[in-house]
Amino acid sequence: MKKNKVWYVTKKLLIFVVSLLLLSVITFYISRLAPGDPLVSYYGDRVEKMSTQERNWAEEKLGLHEPITVQYVRWLGNALHGEFGISYKYKTDVLEVIAGRIGNTLILGGVGFILIFVLALLLGVWCAWYEDRLPDRIVCRIGTVTSCIPEFWMSLLFILVFSVQLRLLPSSGAYSIGKSNDILDRIRHLILPITIVVLGHLWYYAYMVRNKLLEEVRSDYVLLAKSKGLGKKKILFGHCLRNILPSYLSIMAISVPHVLGGTYIIETVFSYPGIGTLSYESARYKDYNLLMVLCILSGAIVILCNMIAQAINEQIDPRIRANEMTEESEVVKQ
Amino acid sequence: MGTENRKNSMDELLKVEHLAVSFQTDAGELEAVRDVSFSLRPGEVLALVGESGCGKSVLCKSIMRLLPEKARIKSGSIRINDTDISAYKEKEMQKLRGRLFAMVFQDPMTSLNPTMTIGAQIAEAVLVHQPKLKKEAVQKRVIELMELVGIDRARERAKLYPWNFSGGMRQRSVLAIALASNPEILIADEPTTALDVTIQAQILDLLKEIQQRLGTATILVSHDLGVVARVADRVAVMYAGKICEIGTAEEIYYDPKHPYTKGLLRSLPALSRGKETLHTLSGMPPSLVRPPKGDAFACRNESALAIDYEQQPPMFRVSDTHYAATWLLDERAAKVRQELERREQAESMPKEKEEKIQKIDGENTFSDLLLDVRHLTQVFPLTKKLAVRAVDDVSFQIRKGEIFGLVGESGSGKSTVARCVMNIYRPSGGQIIYHGIDTGDRIAVRKNRALLQQERQMIFQDSASSLNQRMKVADIVMEPMKLAHRRPPRGSYRAEAAYQLKYVGLDEACLDKYPSELSGGQRQRVAIARAVSMEPELLVADEPIASLDVSIQAQIVNLFRHLQREHGFSILFIAHDLAMVEFLCDRVGVMYHGRLIEVAPCRELYRNPLHPYTQALLSAIPLPDPKRERERKMTEFAQKYETAGVMVEASAGHFVLR
Repeated sequence: MKKNKVWYVTKKLLIFVVSLLLLSVITFYISRLAPGDPLVSYYGDRVEKMSTQERNWAEEKLGLHEPITVQYVRWLGNALHGEFGISYKYKTDVLEVIAGRIGNTLILGGVGFILIFVLALLLGVWCAWYEDRLPDRIVCRIGTVTSCIPEFWMSLLFILVFSVQLRLLPSSGAYSIGKSNDILDRIRHLILPITIVVLGHLWYYAYMVRNKLLEEVRSDYVLLAKSKGLGKKKILFGHCLRNILPSYLSIMAISVPHVLGGTYIIETVFSYPGIGTLSYESARYKDYNLLMVLCILSGAIVILCNMIAQAINEQIDPRIRANEMTEESEVVKQ
Repeated sequence: MGTENRKNSMDELLKVEHLAVSFQTDAGELEAVRDVSFSLRPGEVLALVGESGCGKSVLCKSIMRLLPEKARIKSGSIRINDTDISAYKEKEMQKLRGRLFAMVFQDPMTSLNPTMTIGAQIAEAVLVHQPKLKKEAVQKRVIELMELVGIDRARERAKLYPWNFSGGMRQRSVLAIALASNPEILIADEPTTALDVTIQAQILDLLKEIQQRLGTATILVSHDLGVVARVADRVAVMYAGKICEIGTAEEIYYDPKHPYTKGLLRSLPALSRGKETLHTLSGMPPSLVRPPKGDAFACRNESALAIDYEQQPPMFRVSDTHYAATWLLDERAAKVRQELERREQAESMPKEKEEKIQKIDGENTFSDLLLDVRHLTQVFPLTKKLAVRAVDDVSFQIRKGEIFGLVGESGSGKSTVARCVMNIYRPSGGQIIYHGIDTGDRIAVRKNRALLQQERQMIFQDSASSLNQRMKVADIVMEPMKLAHRRPPRGSYRAEAAYQLKYVGLDEACLDKYPSELSGGQRQRVAIARAVSMEPELLVADEPIASLDVSIQAQIVNLFRHLQREHGFSILFIAHDLAMVEFLCDRVGVMYHGRLIEVAPCRELYRNPLHPYTQALLSAIPLPDPKRERERKMTEFAQKYETAGVMVEASAGHFVLR
């Protein structure tokens, strides 16, 4: 049994590493094949005034004159030693640039994710409780409408209303100038982006909780629980909710990348200094080294979450439980 | 007078008066229960019998108010100890449920919460009405309840999950839950229908035993008159939402008055033994969306009177305890009644002649071998280390034109055999030779694919899920012909489909319906038409009648027999009980735990079963005879029968595992 677990983990790790390698190859090639001038991000406007000679010299300095495969092998060699190069734009080590920003994204994504997780559950239960009655219908209608609005458009709308018209909340950034240590100010800056993240994803999951719950409510064991004399509350929370939680957990694990993708867009709209804005910039200005690390980082999160979801699912799958199976059924050793 | 009335109503625990329940459906208001009145005395067992859709389940659920929201109690009262509870609010009902009445449901596989231990689920039922009970006391009560329903090693088993339990054990657990707060009324809604015959008898006996020990009044719902004969004190027969006859068990079984009751009793296979065909009730119950004006049974009743179509019959009194709703009991119909009774008596006289044209036994009549199954073994891996041996060294032959029955309880491997024969599974060992073609040999199969696909056809148990819900009946019947590029003999594919439907007793109007618009029996007929349209040589029918009502079962069995005679194909007929098989099959094989334990010509097997398991199976066929059933001791099924050994020929054509 223990040996199995070791093998299981090793296998997963191998898959993880291979996937990341593949991802790096693909990103490396595509980013270099795409049109655009990486020198712009390094030299800025000066590039336009450069002579051909100077350009060649600059390209050689950055190692861009060699064939892509050679560049990739060199990059990989350095990366395995922990050197990811410097960012063309910020002229410092890539990891340093990211380290300064990742906290912001983690706060936005993490808080947003937890809020979605909790609110979806509450809303789902609320809707299931009032199935097909007014509260349920209202929530479902609002959800359908809201989830159809694109996030970037909703962000603009919110900025227009809450920042421009009402002047209640700041429209961009993570903190006001000179107030980077003021927590209250940071929270004020977070309200709008988080609201958008939550509003964009909440309904889908809430609806899923509702439908799964209702499916459970229709099953026979609920009838038996009712005939015992149990009340609606006990049945819904003690029996039904309990039974859908595992599958809810696994679906939420799968959805981490989904929510992450959402924050990237929102960061860009709000010019929120996080990984999302950084990725956007680096892709746009061909900041190759930065782009590589960001892609691999995002990829790692996606793959990791999917693996966690898979592990949860395998735990739920009754076929795994066959090991401890019944007293009655005929089981033979092969 | 007044005091007497009072006294009468005092010893009635439950009194339902003129109850009417209806459902809102897309087609209109469905009147599921129509003007039902009955009463239940303390400590008695009332059996509620009727076909599916007759409203018996709805009636029970409306007593406990467990109906879905679409249902509505239209009128009538439900009195418990003389208090009307039909207007009670949900909160008040909650207090009554479990303590006053409790329910056991049909399918123990789904009625227990899969993620809670059995012990926790029973404990919950104990705590509902005694929330202040201490933990140890609850635990003690749980063990006590589990022991009461016959679960031994209760202390360990309380920690197990429902999926660790077998069907019978789960139903016992459900019963323990129902009994947790000592209810005065126990409602058992088809408690044995989803169980094997071997378990069915045990659960019924347990119900009876507990009922006698605790004195709980019981309403036992069933679709099978045979099953309840053993336990019922009184029987109520329901048809189309109404109680058409009610009386003591003796009165109903020995002196039925309503033509529907008579028909139900006669269509029980145990009563038709030795006859050529099964007696059937023709037709189907009417739709309850717009129920017929007169007697709902009139259209299926050969001897319906003119008034039956006009006016609903009232309950006629036969004796103090026996009432029936049929115009035959009216003064004015005395002549017809006598005529009918004379005819029935003539019919029930044994006919020497019929015995003679019985099915021909023995080997000689069937010469050519069609299917030869040799040492078939099928192993399903569960994990890398464990596997289930579903079929273990099974050998049998089917000759041309022969109907071979395969009988066994669920999990005995009979369906797996059928699927191996149809090349759905690839056997792990052994050979299946069809018409000289080894179906395990890929090259041979590829060469003869068209022939194999056409000549072997299969019919499944659950026609609701084996027919595509999004295809019209016409397309379903035509599809195999089109796939095989067969020229329709009757001009167009559609004409051919219409012909085949008519052949199996369906109207042409069904062609453009979807399967969901048909009843279970009709759907099974479509499945049969689809299979027969290919003019098969071998028909594999995997429990084709298991999910049907008794009266419909008999119709389908007769249809099989009729079709076989017309076409002359062979049938591998799979069933889980021996009763119906007797009428259809020429030879029968009995399976137990993946092994074939006995094969014999049909009559030989029923007359002289050799294997103890076969003997027990045969004795478990319930008889619609309360006096004999009550006295009869059920043959106890052994915990486990020996499955090692080899098949030995005991007499000509009769093989048994020894």
